[in-house]
Amino acid sequence: MIKRYIAGAACALGLVAGAAQAQSDGPYKVYLSMSYIGNDWQAEASNMVKALAASKDYADKVDLEVQVAGPNAQRQIQQINAMVQAGADAIVVYPISPTALNSVVKSACSRGVTVIAYDAEITEPCAYNVTIDQEEAGRKTAEWLVDKMGGKGDVVMVTGVPGTSVDTARTKAAKEVFAQHDGINIVGEAVGMWSQAVARTELNKLMATRDWSDINGLWMQVGCYTADSMQLEAGRDPSELLPCAGEGSNGGRIQMLPADTAVEGASKPYAPMGAPRISYASPPYSGALALKLAVDKLEGQDIPKHTTLPLPLVTNETVQLCETGSWDEQKAGCNVFQPSMVSNPGWFASIFSEDLPQLGLNAALVGQPEN
Amino acid sequence: MSDQSLSSGATPRRKSSNWLRSLRHGQAVIVAALVLAGLMALNAGLSPYPLSYFDISFLASGGATSAIAAAGQTLVILSGGFDLSAGAVVSLVNAVLATSMDPANMQASVPLWTAIGIGIGMAVGAVNGFFVAVVRLQPIVVTLAVMFIVQGLTLLVMAMPGGFVAPSLASVYLGDTIPGLLPAPITLMLVLVALWLWLKRTGYGITLYAVGSDAEAARATGLHARTVTFATYVLAGGLYGLAGVFVSAQTGSGDPLVGNSLLLPTFAAVVIGGTRLGGGKGGVLGTILGAYILMIVVNLLLSLNVSAYYSTIAESAVLLIAVLAGSLRRDSTLSQRLREVTDAIGARRRGWLVGQRSGEDHRLAFTRPAETAPAQTFLQRHGHTLRHVLPAWICLVVVLIATQLVLGNVFSGWRYWDSLLVLSSFLAILALGQGAVILTGGLDLSLPWSIALSGVMLTGLVGGQDMGLLTALPVVFAVAALIGLANGLGVVALGLSPIVVTLAMNGILQGAALIWSGGTPAGFAPPSLRWLMTGKLMGVTPVIIFMAAFVALAIVLLGRTAFGRRVYAVGNSELAARLSGVRTGRVIISVYILSALCAALVGVLLAGFSGQASLGMGDDYLLPSIAVVVVGGALITGGRGHYAGMLGGALLLTAMQTLLAGTALPFAFRSVFFGLVILMAVIALRK
Repeated sequence: MIKRYIAGAACALGLVAGAAQAQSDGPYKVYLSMSYIGNDWQAEASNMVKALAASKDYADKVDLEVQVAGPNAQRQIQQINAMVQAGADAIVVYPISPTALNSVVKSACSRGVTVIAYDAEITEPCAYNVTIDQEEAGRKTAEWLVDKMGGKGDVVMVTGVPGTSVDTARTKAAKEVFAQHDGINIVGEAVGMWSQAVARTELNKLMATRDWSDINGLWMQVGCYTADSMQLEAGRDPSELLPCAGEGSNGGRIQMLPADTAVEGASKPYAPMGAPRISYASPPYSGALALKLAVDKLEGQDIPKHTTLPLPLVTNETVQLCETGSWDEQKAGCNVFQPSMVSNPGWFASIFSEDLPQLGLNAALVGQPEN
Repeated sequence: MSDQSLSSGATPRRKSSNWLRSLRHGQAVIVAALVLAGLMALNAGLSPYPLSYFDISFLASGGATSAIAAAGQTLVILSGGFDLSAGAVVSLVNAVLATSMDPANMQASVPLWTAIGIGIGMAVGAVNGFFVAVVRLQPIVVTLAVMFIVQGLTLLVMAMPGGFVAPSLASVYLGDTIPGLLPAPITLMLVLVALWLWLKRTGYGITLYAVGSDAEAARATGLHARTVTFATYVLAGGLYGLAGVFVSAQTGSGDPLVGNSLLLPTFAAVVIGGTRLGGGKGGVLGTILGAYILMIVVNLLLSLNVSAYYSTIAESAVLLIAVLAGSLRRDSTLSQRLREVTDAIGARRRGWLVGQRSGEDHRLAFTRPAETAPAQTFLQRHGHTLRHVLPAWICLVVVLIATQLVLGNVFSGWRYWDSLLVLSSFLAILALGQGAVILTGGLDLSLPWSIALSGVMLTGLVGGQDMGLLTALPVVFAVAALIGLANGLGVVALGLSPIVVTLAMNGILQGAALIWSGGTPAGFAPPSLRWLMTGKLMGVTPVIIFMAAFVALAIVLLGRTAFGRRVYAVGNSELAARLSGVRTGRVIISVYILSALCAALVGVLLAGFSGQASLGMGDDYLLPSIAVVVVGGALITGGRGHYAGMLGGALLLTAMQTLLAGTALPFAFRSVFFGLVILMAVIALRK
């Protein structure tokens, strides 16, 4: 607290310093600036942040307000500025652009506001970042695929949103791995925009002039669940499914379970079929972790400038079904949820964090904390 | 126009009220200024701290990028055009600046880089201007194609965010002109406004308004209409370039996607500022105020802590209210319609209405049609249609052959055709609705969220069961009909521009879809719907059979029914149609209902295709739906076009995308190619 007051005064704006003092006894005013709320990942991330703020440990400490900027970086710049004006103590932000926010973040910092970005990065040095190593994600999944294909064969890639750092880093790393193996050819590359629906349209275009048997492996950022569904629709047997390196959706992980696994609420293609797969994801709990770090910082602790989250990788060997989805059960190692509880196959299953015992399945589904 | 001058001529106080007239002339600008002042005051009142100089400076810079870009858009719209490349140019300039500035040079020359940015924008503008003014293509397609090309180029220049922009740019553009009193962005706006006020009085400015009011008349009067149109696109491009320079200064780095989301807000800003879509009326001052109104609304929503789900609804409401307030007067459409309704009620009471007379035929003998009509050859009857329909189909054949050469497997099997027909079905359906709207001279921008809302409602209501379709489909289509009705009433009864009404509707529907789904759409498409889109019936995806019926119905509806003929009549001249006894209001309302129903059908089919609905599922269909209609030979201003051409356009675009997806070309090149093909298709359409 005292540190923050000094920081506020140091920036030579008497106004802000006075404001910081006036607010020091109440709960911390924390704002969440999201980019877009129309997809599963963002909705889960937002639910988990809200759940953490509502949990017993944080309910008295944090006064959380959520704003959405849509895909417009200009608007996020305005929003962050408006949040600073409204007296924010900390701003947790899903940055639309890693660079466009730099100057507004700098000015927020100079007014004593803690800014923490999750999932994507802000390059301004005064901001804190919580991300996974995207390059590692691209590399490890590509290595797994090469290994599964025995080092040779034709690969189809479905990438993310062109022009973003996350997509560029993942795709570049994966291509570097493929380039090291002479036997591996990239025969098609589609832009999947991180959406199962777009992945289906694009795969349809790719497969218009090919047969599934012409391909040996799939590397995707989002779309393995869709690709497997399409192979089944095309009349292929579940045992012939192509190895796919792809997203951490619950539907995809259910498909990875051995075909004879008993699950509740399964219906094809959202059913166990022993699909060969490595599942990776940017975990949606990163927003909640950013909130936790923000509060730690406001309470005077030191937090690292860059928190790299462990990359949640699940393969057919490590996939394990949860019964209830509580935090304790996930800590014991389960990583996929019953279709009866998670009705949406596109829903992201990588929600477990060692540091956030407040958040179980219900936090991600409906924003309800464990305690 | 003519009845306006009549009614003002009828007022006796004409001479004495010169100042009143100029006040009225600037009504939209004055309203915009008052709204902005009101919102600023409200925002300041809600904020716990007094508004400091720093806050004002930040607000000024926050809205500057979109204000500058919207100023460019204003010029194009004043000339009667439409520029979809605005956002893409902003991104391109930002990317070029951020990649080519030397990170070691902190004091890069501001005039030099500003000139480079403006120059790039003007170069793109010159391309637009050349095709619009010299080749005389439709602005909306030219700028759409250029948008794709520029987006591709931007990704070639810069694949991901990064780069460096010298801080000297920021200190000039975001600093203070007079420290503590006048922030630099405000100075920039003042300079722009001053330049505009001067430009407006020059020969160029007068011609600009003349061209926008009536291009034919302007040309007939001997004005250099084409030169002015060309210059307008170049000037507008320069302003987008300046916006790109500003955003570079503001962010200190580059992002290849930074400007893409600026496009729709620029239209909103132009319209709020009182500029008439279609040209001839308005100005840059109002637009700049409009851009700042849009910006302050964002801050206000935050201060009021409005849930994010409602923010698009609130913004749409502001858009509608501002436009309505700016156009409110005795001779506005709304008051005219109200008068008409009271007149009609009075006439009915007295039994004067045509419909109340006896149905006897009072036609005079010589109006009876001739017994025998001269026989026309096939070409005489259909030549005109064919000339506009064929180019899309010819281009399609070229793309198919190219696909066979590059990828193979086109003519040897059914797989390619099945995929092509299924994927193009969405655009083909949208083409009917969007096409009918465009034929009447309108435009439906509410498609994206009409599609998404319908899909989300369907999967939410059916509960994954086939039986659920029986109740869900009627609900979905009824809601769609209501959406279309609201769009149509906005256009007809309120007299608003179709673009404003449907843009606002899109925002409202977005909010509705978010509220309905709580952020994540629930449920699945039922098995029968999935079978329709992904199953097989004797080797054919069932939806193709459905589409065959749909296409036949669409051709009959637009070409062979009284409704279809009225649509064309309204598009050619609404006044002439009304005087010929066509109930133009009803026709216009019906085409918007048709468009919304088509969007709902696409939402339903897309849900079946993907197995579930997602909120962004309609986003990729708005611009293609317009492109398909225009590539298919329709005139964007209405009255000309045939569904067969639009169908060809849908197949062409899908075949083109399939070809590009199959190649190993990087996305940037695909975007450039896609733009070039659209451009080529419309050049082929030229008379």
